[in-house]
Amino acid sequence: MALMPKRVKYRKQQRGKMKGNANRTNFVAFGEYGLQALERHWITGRQIEAGRIAATHFLHREGKVHIRIFPHHSYTAKPLEQRMGKGKAEIAGWVARVKPGTILYEIGGVSEEVAKVALLRVAHKMPVRCRFVTRRHTLA
Amino acid sequence: MAQRAVIKAEIRTTLGSKDALRLRDKGKLPAIVYGHKKEPVAISFDVHGFVEDLHHGHRLFDTDMGGKTETLLVKDIQYDYLGKNVIHADMVRVDLGETVKVKVSIELRGTSKGSHEGGIIDEHLDHLEIECKVVNIPDVIPIVVKDLDVGDSIHAGDVELPAGAKLLTDPKALLLTCHLVAAAKTTEEAEEEMPAGPEVITEKPAEEEGGEE
Repeated sequence: MALMPKRVKYRKQQRGKMKGNANRTNFVAFGEYGLQALERHWITGRQIEAGRIAATHFLHREGKVHIRIFPHHSYTAKPLEQRMGKGKAEIAGWVARVKPGTILYEIGGVSEEVAKVALLRVAHKMPVRCRFVTRRHTLA
Repeated sequence: MAQRAVIKAEIRTTLGSKDALRLRDKGKLPAIVYGHKKEPVAISFDVHGFVEDLHHGHRLFDTDMGGKTETLLVKDIQYDYLGKNVIHADMVRVDLGETVKVKVSIELRGTSKGSHEGGIIDEHLDHLEIECKVVNIPDVIPIVVKDLDVGDSIHAGDVELPAGAKLLTDPKALLLTCHLVAAAKTTEEAEEEMPAGPEVITEKPAEEEGGEE
């Protein structure tokens, strides 16, 4: 079972739109290095978990991985060969809605070279183009 | 941080986001100057030179604004959504002998004792707020972490500040901790913790649903 919320007010949601760019979660806040999304997309709980496993397996208990996104949004899908209508279908999965600029993962406690390789492995699991970013300590 | 950079600014007469966009297209950076109980002034200057100066550690600028030179301190900088390009700057008027409140980032020096035993350092705060003379604003506040063992922590009050600087951040504020990394959960362990489905707050009990029909 992939990531999903523990409690929700309503199970099924409308799909919605993802207009604009990330105005929050768009800078490295917890670790030293981060992976930033450059496109907008739904990222499923399974993809988030796959990214976490890719990073933790590579790091071998070194450093700390922070996941900055969570699949709060449910989507539904009708089974194959089902006629249209008869109400909204059952939940097919949970997704995080990601806008360009969102920081997806952060890593701290390792060198830049190690973080780069680990986050590249995570980037391969993501359905969006990503870039490696470092934390901005000073104004520049 | 005693060194000052020189920039030539132009006073902006037309304001608004569209005008700011046009300025950025021309390679200029819109900025605002305020402080000393004077009227705020909207200015613009060459973005390339300004960013170069920032990368060299300059925070004080002798700014020529319409024939009048003022000393300005960079108060805040705004970036675009990717955090790549500078899109706006806040500058505050200062006198060189004046005392100001500034946020200065911390820099860890050395390798901690705990990291040899498999621990990692968690940075809970990456800057300190201090009060000091304009000419004495440090670029960074160094913190030596050589003696930091697993389970140890450093608070804001423990940091040695440069001479003449006064700490404004709460001295009890946690800066750094050194701890062992917990073993990462396997997929099976993570799956066990996850419920089969989320609890729905608004869901009615089965009896009520059937009662109306």
